Amino acid sequence: MAIKITIPGIIRLAWLSDPDEVIAANDSGVVQRSLSGLGGLVQRSIAAKLAVFRTPDGDIWPAFRNRGDPLRRTRQSDLEQALSHTRVLLKRVAPETGALATYIRSGSINRPPEIVVQQMVGRLFFPDYAASEESYDAARALQTWVSGGPIKSYLLKSSGALERALDLIVTLARGDTSCAHATAIAMHNIVDTIERMRRLVKTSDNLEKLGAQDAIASTLHAPKQVVRETRDGGRVCGAYLGARTLVILRLEAARRQKPEADIEFFAKGWNQCPAHAIVPALLVDIWKKAKAGKS
Amino acid sequence: MSRENDGFEFHPTRLQQFLDVAYRIINVFVRWDRLPTLLAAVNFTVFRDRLRAYNLHHTGYGVLTPDKWKPGYERWRSADGSYNCLAHPRMGMAGTRFGRNVPLAEGVPETGDALLEPSPRLISRELLARHEFIPATKLNLLGAAWIQFEIHNWFSHGTPETENEFKIPLPPGDDWPEKFNGCMHIQRTRLDPTDREAWLGATPTFCNFNSHWWDGGQIYGHDHPTQMKIRSKRDGKIKFDRDMLPEDLPERPGIDFTGFNDNWWIGLSALHTMFAREHNTICDGLKLNYPEWDDEELFQRARLINGALIAKIHTVEWTPGILGHPALEFGMHAQWSGVPYRWMKLVLGGNSEIAHGIIGSETAQHSAPYAMTEEFTAVYRMHPLLPDTVQIRSLNPRKASKTLDFVDVQGSKTRALMKTHGFADVLYSLGIANPGAMRIRNYPNFLRRFRKDVERSHSHKTEQPLLDMAAIDIMRDRERGVPRYNRFRELVGKKRVTSFEEITSIPGIAQKMREIYKDVDRVDLLVGLLSEDLPEGFGFSDTAFRVFILMASRRLKSDRFFTDDFRPEIYTEFGLDWIRNNAMKSVLLRHFPELGPALEGVNNSFSPWNVVA
Repeated sequence: MAIKITIPGIIRLAWLSDPDEVIAANDSGVVQRSLSGLGGLVQRSIAAKLAVFRTPDGDIWPAFRNRGDPLRRTRQSDLEQALSHTRVLLKRVAPETGALATYIRSGSINRPPEIVVQQMVGRLFFPDYAASEESYDAARALQTWVSGGPIKSYLLKSSGALERALDLIVTLARGDTSCAHATAIAMHNIVDTIERMRRLVKTSDNLEKLGAQDAIASTLHAPKQVVRETRDGGRVCGAYLGARTLVILRLEAARRQKPEADIEFFAKGWNQCPAHAIVPALLVDIWKKAKAGKS
Repeated sequence: MSRENDGFEFHPTRLQQFLDVAYRIINVFVRWDRLPTLLAAVNFTVFRDRLRAYNLHHTGYGVLTPDKWKPGYERWRSADGSYNCLAHPRMGMAGTRFGRNVPLAEGVPETGDALLEPSPRLISRELLARHEFIPATKLNLLGAAWIQFEIHNWFSHGTPETENEFKIPLPPGDDWPEKFNGCMHIQRTRLDPTDREAWLGATPTFCNFNSHWWDGGQIYGHDHPTQMKIRSKRDGKIKFDRDMLPEDLPERPGIDFTGFNDNWWIGLSALHTMFAREHNTICDGLKLNYPEWDDEELFQRARLINGALIAKIHTVEWTPGILGHPALEFGMHAQWSGVPYRWMKLVLGGNSEIAHGIIGSETAQHSAPYAMTEEFTAVYRMHPLLPDTVQIRSLNPRKASKTLDFVDVQGSKTRALMKTHGFADVLYSLGIANPGAMRIRNYPNFLRRFRKDVERSHSHKTEQPLLDMAAIDIMRDRERGVPRYNRFRELVGKKRVTSFEEITSIPGIAQKMREIYKDVDRVDLLVGLLSEDLPEGFGFSDTAFRVFILMASRRLKSDRFFTDDFRPEIYTEFGLDWIRNNAMKSVLLRHFPELGPALEGVNNSFSPWNVVA
């Protein structure tokens, strides 16, 4: 059941957390990824935040491309194809998965695990991708920009940290917006999963007891929420959403209610994550290595 | 910096910023059309500045390089519109893409079933079909011909694709004769073959086959080979066949040969012929003043002068003719030549386009490179102006009048009719007749079941499909991603409506729209524009007018030949005088002096003339 709030001139908002509603809204032509900034001050502020996710020549990051975008379709299928060579890719990132496995098993690691994760994700795109403290700080700055409060956002923008972060991420990604998205935004979900795996191992003998699939099932979450907008009014799963409603799809809440729906990757949706196969494969590999005591 | 808009930005002055705030407050209490004339005219400039800041969106040029620079381009227009902007030579040239008046993410067509719903054929039958002719009493039929004449200057999406048509299911009982598996086919707009930029997102792009500039391209053509074909190559003149333009190629019989001659009818023939004659008269004047000039110089200078005269007539005569509001009359004259008050000129200063007019002011592109837009095309869907029949009347009272179906005054029948009745009688007939009003249920029925002439070539003839132009107009906006009516309103700075009754007070229409659309956000742009209650004196909707405010001035302001280069060195003193001293009436009377009694006392040649016979 959608929760709706309207304060004229300020916000028109709908939260969806029912899995069927979330899936229906995601597939509906009424709900769009691009935000216009119309409908209220909050909408304007959020749209302005997300508008920065463009390369200097204007290329739009993949998570903000609309359904009918031909380039989105092409890039999505190309990337999905590239990430489908699981065996080759797992071999390529074996040093990183080994380090993360050690971290999960023992809590010790030469470099902070989040940097290792960023490097692992980057190397799926470019074998010589090298993450550093600076690159991870850049990714964290962008994550803060997206989900942080207005004061943090103001400080990021006014200090120039936001622009520096964007420049660094895009430069390291060699202008590839999919790589930029993966190494700046999507990687945080893997970092969180690794931390959950570590907690799972730290507190009991889960490493011996749990198989890889069970471990992933309990540690891999969906992003907390994503933001969409209705351009015109329309019905989604019986609920009427007025024009210019900011639609918050609460993915993690929906996933918990219906884990089999694969909401974390929008499996079978038009915007199915191209990494839907490689991410679980990486996590399985890491867990198995941790279990085997290999690094 | 706006990445999409090629670096162009709009920088409002402090006065513009102040007026923006002031009018936001004023308009809460009073709508622009209820303000005193001067305040309402200033309100237009405020609307225009907001639109200049937020409603110009570049879609890329598409074409990679213009043709080579040729000597002369610095002082006259190239045939295809390239090099008008010397820093961005592709800007506005024929073949480049249409721009947008809405943000690119808003200009995305719906997908799947939503694109075809509600059925455009149903809308054509239930909401657009003319039940009885509703005349626009303040305008004459020459005004309808004029806007088509002008549109042929500004834009063309080219001939549609012949494959992958939209298939519109026909309801039982629909008598549409050309059914394909129970569906009506509508051809798609010709695809843009050029490479897409990554920042376009899901927004479709289409190319303008005409030059985007206000350059008289309908007379002179939009490419060099066509331009050379229309010329006599003597003294800069356009080729004539006795007193008529030459006939087009044998595969297009009955149609005059000119720069752009699609959808030909007697109204276009009369206007094209008259302005081709005007061109030749200007050539005579130039030759007298500059006897040393060769054919090319005479042709190109006359083309500049004639094109500017046409633009002036459109700005200060046609527009106030169809939008009969005192503030509009004031505003359009101010747009061309500035305000009539000396105190205002002093207060606003020498550089103010409001005080001194756009003509001769500094060239500016504002927030995007100049291009015609899909939204501008959409608000220029003015087919309701056409009647289903035309009465041909003679200036000679002894000659009987004759009423013809519109299909019999167009296409291959045009030249024969012009020969039979003569230009003066045809112009007189158009001058005294009213066009249709731009209202709902006033779409000409002949266009709802219309077949163009068979295209003949040496080897074969091509049958043309039967067209329901009303349904096609609906589909064109949808497939090009032009927002539907309610969102369009919002995006041009008006409030969204929340009920069908807020759109229109025309009896029965709100209810009919509710039955068809169910949701007010689904109302098609064309339907909303034709239904909307109009400001006093207006011949079309206030929503459409917002786009006009922006684009009508932009056609002038972005063009160096109307701004930086509107000067004697380019136009000659003779040319500037010609533009200053002439109007539609003087052109009509110069070439058809027998129209004198019909035009006596008529202030605007696009308002109905005197009936003399």
